[in-house]
Amino acid sequence: MKKVFLFLLVMSILAFSFAQEKAKATLPSVEVRTLDGKTFNTKDIQNNGKPILVSLWATWCKPCVAELMAINDVYDEWQEETGVVLYAISIDDTRTAAKVAPFVNGRGWDYKVLQDINGDLKRAMNVIDVPFLCLLNGNGEIVWSHTSYAPGSEKKVFELVKKVAKGEEIKN
Amino acid sequence: MNFELRIMRLFLLAVFCLLPFCLSAQIRVGSGTISGDFSFNGMYYIPDSLIGAREVDSKVRGNAWLNLNYTNGGFSTGARYEFYLFPLIDFQDIGYQGQGITYFFADYKTNFIQVTGGYFYEQFGQGLTLRAYEDRNLGIDNSLLGGRVRVTPWKGIQLKGVWGIQRYNFNFDYTKRNDNVRGLDAELALADMIPKLSDNGVTLTVGASFVSRFEKAEDKMFNIYIDTLQYHDFYNNNSIFEFTPTDRPNVIRVQGVIPSENIPQNVGSWATRLNFGIKGFRLEGEYASKINDPNLSNDYIYKRGEALMMSASYSMKGLGVSTSFLRADNMDFRSQRDAVPAYAALMLNYIPAINRQYSYQLLGNYGYASQPNGQIGAQAQVNYQIPRRTKIGGRYGTDITVNYSRFHDIQKTFVPLSDTIGTITGTEGYTSKFFAFGKNLLYQDVGFDISRRLNRQWKLMLMYNYINYNMTLQGKPGMINGNHVGFELTYKINDIHALRLENQYLIIPKENNLDDKDKGSWMFMLLEYSISPNWFITVSDQWHFGNEKKLHYPNGAVAYVFGTTRLALNFGKTREGILCIGGVCRAVPASFGLGLSVTTTF
Repeated sequence: MKKVFLFLLVMSILAFSFAQEKAKATLPSVEVRTLDGKTFNTKDIQNNGKPILVSLWATWCKPCVAELMAINDVYDEWQEETGVVLYAISIDDTRTAAKVAPFVNGRGWDYKVLQDINGDLKRAMNVIDVPFLCLLNGNGEIVWSHTSYAPGSEKKVFELVKKVAKGEEIKN
Repeated sequence: MNFELRIMRLFLLAVFCLLPFCLSAQIRVGSGTISGDFSFNGMYYIPDSLIGAREVDSKVRGNAWLNLNYTNGGFSTGARYEFYLFPLIDFQDIGYQGQGITYFFADYKTNFIQVTGGYFYEQFGQGLTLRAYEDRNLGIDNSLLGGRVRVTPWKGIQLKGVWGIQRYNFNFDYTKRNDNVRGLDAELALADMIPKLSDNGVTLTVGASFVSRFEKAEDKMFNIYIDTLQYHDFYNNNSIFEFTPTDRPNVIRVQGVIPSENIPQNVGSWATRLNFGIKGFRLEGEYASKINDPNLSNDYIYKRGEALMMSASYSMKGLGVSTSFLRADNMDFRSQRDAVPAYAALMLNYIPAINRQYSYQLLGNYGYASQPNGQIGAQAQVNYQIPRRTKIGGRYGTDITVNYSRFHDIQKTFVPLSDTIGTITGTEGYTSKFFAFGKNLLYQDVGFDISRRLNRQWKLMLMYNYINYNMTLQGKPGMINGNHVGFELTYKINDIHALRLENQYLIIPKENNLDDKDKGSWMFMLLEYSISPNWFITVSDQWHFGNEKKLHYPNGAVAYVFGTTRLALNFGKTREGILCIGGVCRAVPASFGLGLSVTTTF
């Protein structure tokens, strides 16, 4: 039994000691689907040097939908001001995957929507629960990420997007 | 101090050791990066005979895991440690108990090829033949240990090959296993290859898959009770089986041995699929078939299995319409023929329930569960947005969802005694007309919801559903015929503080022949106060007011979120179902106690 905890501790200490510098992590290269059924690699997510938001969500997740609805209400203003693009990547599995396109269009969302049907991207990004939102700078580096949604937190997200659009550094 | 407490304490220590480095986000090693996640869900159980929260042998229990991944260019590797020695009771109930390195892999990827060794997850098409996946909140991990190759020889063509032994909970002695799985899958994106299609805005993808399961056959002792009214003349009377009457009416006991030479060691399953789209219209479908696979879930019959899943949808801005059809017959497909049908362990394929998935408590309690061995049904859903800045739609628009779904068992005609299949001694069991609905309604649900932001501060959602839920889905008698009404109101005090109130009623008429636990109407109420983006304080109560016992299931929770780390404490009573607290959703056990949850992604 003790070995187990030793292992855990050693793993965490190792990782801790590796923490010499903050990595500029990028999105992992994982194959997901577009709404029209084509294969799309997440490393191809880009926005001509402008900020990118990536949201992992699901049609059955209320806070996820609330967050995307709240952003949708101000999305055109965000885009005008910063040129940001939001990729809404649904983790709906086969059970609800076919309903994602009607769901998104029915709500009139203008996001770029992708589907991670067997959780491959979710796993590669170490996401435990959705919603999970992260912000990428113009070079595709993840500069901020957050889990869960509380009404109003989209304001803070926009502050960060504006900073990134201006090329400023941000703290997570 | 007892052993469990000591372990829990050590775990907490490990959590706090991890926290600082979680805060430092992703970590760079050389030119690669290390990332990972950690989760702990613990509970102190208090017995409560009123709600049926049983006395458990160790009061302090918890599930924990740690994932570490290393990525460097096209190369990645990783491992997961899982600690479920004293798991939450619902995990223990499904046999999910143990600890160890449950997952490790090495993967190399270029534009042309991807090679994976170790454990991997994979899905072919819609998953009717193969879906190795995980859902840790539900205790499902059907990963394969072996190898996988994915090749993209030409743009638009993808080929996959897998070989592996499926994970079975915490049984790691793979040398003792007599079963393995092999699979091939090919997918052609025709629109990528035929410019005429893509020029006309057409997307067309076709695919096919083949999966074969091997399991060494041994003489099978056979001892089951069958209902002669339902299964009359069910088994081939070839003197292998002995039929004895029992003291229960219409129930006989069937005993005997199926000799190993009569049991197919290799079971093949194949599927073809299509995905077609033009403009807003989309058609998707997959048909799968499985050859004779006598197993515990189908009472060892030799009938061929088949499944068809189709969906058609049309959407344009502001309107989405989707319809789906599903039929599954004898399609429970597992790594081992004696796997327990009630659990998801060793499941090779995935036959989903295609009804609307609700995240509201009372509907979640009676959510339809897929029946891979016999179900036929359809679902239709319309999403419509009354445009914003119109008289009816209001400034922010109004979203309407209308939904209908209905599922039956399949029609069955049991075959006469003398029928055998080829040279195999065994029975086909029954025949079934493909598009015929069986006489038993399993689930029906019709309803709508309307959601509207009234102004900058207030948002309102109203909903109504009528559901029929056949309690045989939970192995109980009776049928729930209920009206579900509810609302959700969000009041944004300012950009930081917000209140959310949910109130729902599930009205179930008294005359139903229901189990005492389900008899009578329910009410659910939840109030959440959030301080963006860190704090969530929630109180809720589920009240079985239509029942003589008038039980309450109160709950209080506080969650603190910073970045990708979430800490939550909750105290109260819960029924099994999906509960969303503090901005995330997860499955929760039926219990009473004090819970602690720590999750982080780094």
